[in-house]
Amino acid sequence: MRQLVWSLVALLALFGVAGCEDKGLAIGVSAPLSGDIAALGQSTRNAVLLAQEEINAKGGIRIGDKLEKITFIIEDDENRPESTATVFQKLINQDRVVAIIGSQSSKCSNAGAPIAESAGIPQLSPWSTNPNVTRGRKYVFRSCFIDPFQGKEVAKFARDTMKARTAAVLYDVASDYNKGIAEVFRDEFARAGGRIVGFETYNTNDKDFSAQLCKIKGANPDILFLPNYFNEVPLQIQQARKLGLTCKVIGSDSWDNPELIKLGGREMEGTYFTNHYSPDVDRPASREFIAKYRKKFNAPVDAAAALTYDSVYILVQAIEKAGKAEPRAIRDAIASTKGFNGATGTISYNGTGDPVKGAVIIRIKNGKFVFDSAVN
Amino acid sequence: MLDTVIQQLLNAAQLGAVYALIALGYTMVYGTIRLINFAHGDIFMLGGYIGFLLVTAVSGMPLVVMMPLAMLLTALVGMLIERVAYRRLRNAQRMSLVITALGVGIFLENLVRLLVGPQARQLPAQLPNGVVELFNGVVVTEDKILIIFISLALMVILWLFVHRTLMGTAMRAVADNKDAVQLMGINLNMVIAVTFAIGSALAAAGGIFFGQAYSIDPYMGIDLGWKAFIAAVIGGIGSIEGAVLGSFLLAGVEVLTVAYLSSNMKNGIAFGLLILLLLLRPNGIMGRPELKKV
Repeated sequence: MRQLVWSLVALLALFGVAGCEDKGLAIGVSAPLSGDIAALGQSTRNAVLLAQEEINAKGGIRIGDKLEKITFIIEDDENRPESTATVFQKLINQDRVVAIIGSQSSKCSNAGAPIAESAGIPQLSPWSTNPNVTRGRKYVFRSCFIDPFQGKEVAKFARDTMKARTAAVLYDVASDYNKGIAEVFRDEFARAGGRIVGFETYNTNDKDFSAQLCKIKGANPDILFLPNYFNEVPLQIQQARKLGLTCKVIGSDSWDNPELIKLGGREMEGTYFTNHYSPDVDRPASREFIAKYRKKFNAPVDAAAALTYDSVYILVQAIEKAGKAEPRAIRDAIASTKGFNGATGTISYNGTGDPVKGAVIIRIKNGKFVFDSAVN
Repeated sequence: MLDTVIQQLLNAAQLGAVYALIALGYTMVYGTIRLINFAHGDIFMLGGYIGFLLVTAVSGMPLVVMMPLAMLLTALVGMLIERVAYRRLRNAQRMSLVITALGVGIFLENLVRLLVGPQARQLPAQLPNGVVELFNGVVVTEDKILIIFISLALMVILWLFVHRTLMGTAMRAVADNKDAVQLMGINLNMVIAVTFAIGSALAAAGGIFFGQAYSIDPYMGIDLGWKAFIAAVIGGIGSIEGAVLGSFLLAGVEVLTVAYLSSNMKNGIAFGLLILLLLLRPNGIMGRPELKKV
């Protein structure tokens, strides 16, 4: 027993010492490093580490008249809202971070947002497009467009470019993002003169969609909209094709990850989805980021990585502008960001947490994401 | 109209077959040692991964070799889990065993996540998957038919094993009275180990079929494990026929709810009906009320 007590004391001392080590300015990151969209968590982590290395190689971040090193504390939220809440609590109360980047899926960012808001810690989500994430909150921002815009653009594209008269939707009803954009699409497609002939749901982690798809097949739509995450979409398309559903398929920004092609293969050919940016659009800031990312990680760049990278620099710029590492001052500096030239486009905030940004439409051709058109 | 019904029933049959392969493991283990083995869903997942690793290690390994081999390996893992985690707790409080089983499940999920990675994988398609048109627009893929028939064949073999062999008789005897069995000179540990082996092997078959038809990931056993557990309870936990019946019933109710009511209400209606059924028959469809000896 005594031995046990002593070893515990020793262990605590060890952690205590490790905890005292000076790491400079701490910023939290909440990312889905494990769980269903873990592939996206990896891109998030890569983008953060790339930015951290660059910033610290220059000596750190300039606060007032001195340079301070920066440390990103990356925590795994497992893409689960309840875990995200725990991560936010830990980052704010234990690590005493001055700001948080994350999370990626809207359901997780939504779970973290009330915690950041009440603690007065700025939160900047790279990839959460659901409008509720920032609504009515002062400290919560994002660096991507929102779903009312994206859903409208997909609906317009389906109606005008793809000439679809009827559409069906299959979406995850247990996830904020999927549900939000599915409803926007439904309304916008009808407003554009189309008819929704199927509006079917499933629950996160379901893998058999044949019952829903069978029903959709019976309604014979011109187009099928799948606003779901890249780990599920391939299964949905494969099952649809096997059941003899031959209509065109479109998706949204949640498709953008190399896993989509890896799992879906040939079945993904000829589909379209809306996205935050395309590596094909030649902008100096994008080109530079993509080259650095590919060189360091030898991996394809998804939008989440680019958005995360932009989020880090928006935050760094805001801290430098604020001149002090104080959450309230940082919040005000983010809110007044104008014309930030990022990898995913130019980002400005106009009084809310949502930036004004355009979108692109991507087409899948020969197993690659190819730029199709841009919308603003 | 009729063609959609048949199409939907085929969808239900495939789902039911996978549920049944998992539910059998729950019911067999419960039958012998009265343990609800909550790690069983994860053994199903592990079976899928062992199959996946075998095909990746030896490319071109045909399914007829890969599947028995994966079932054998998973059976060994099942026996190992019983030996290491459950045997010494067999006479402990029931709750300790259940908590241990949950722990084993979480351990397996994280082990696979660390060793293989968290991303979803697809088993290379090894079953023929051409599309057959039965009649009048009713399509079914060949792999779907094969999955249903191989699963049913495995269930028939299991039934014969349990009812027609000496070991099967011993298993039924253990289910009846664990203490009396030992007095008859039956090796209890051996019988229980065989039960775990068979349950795990069937789960592995389910995992491989699942990977062929859908995809595998480290957490796939959680939700499916629950569904299969519920199917076993509906059928009457401890009863082999009941587990199969319960699985097809659950899958049928789920699919038909989506088809004719609303996909939004799938789980609500499916489980609502099941609660109703259990209120009317608390021991499940085929279950026998447990006799308490005073």
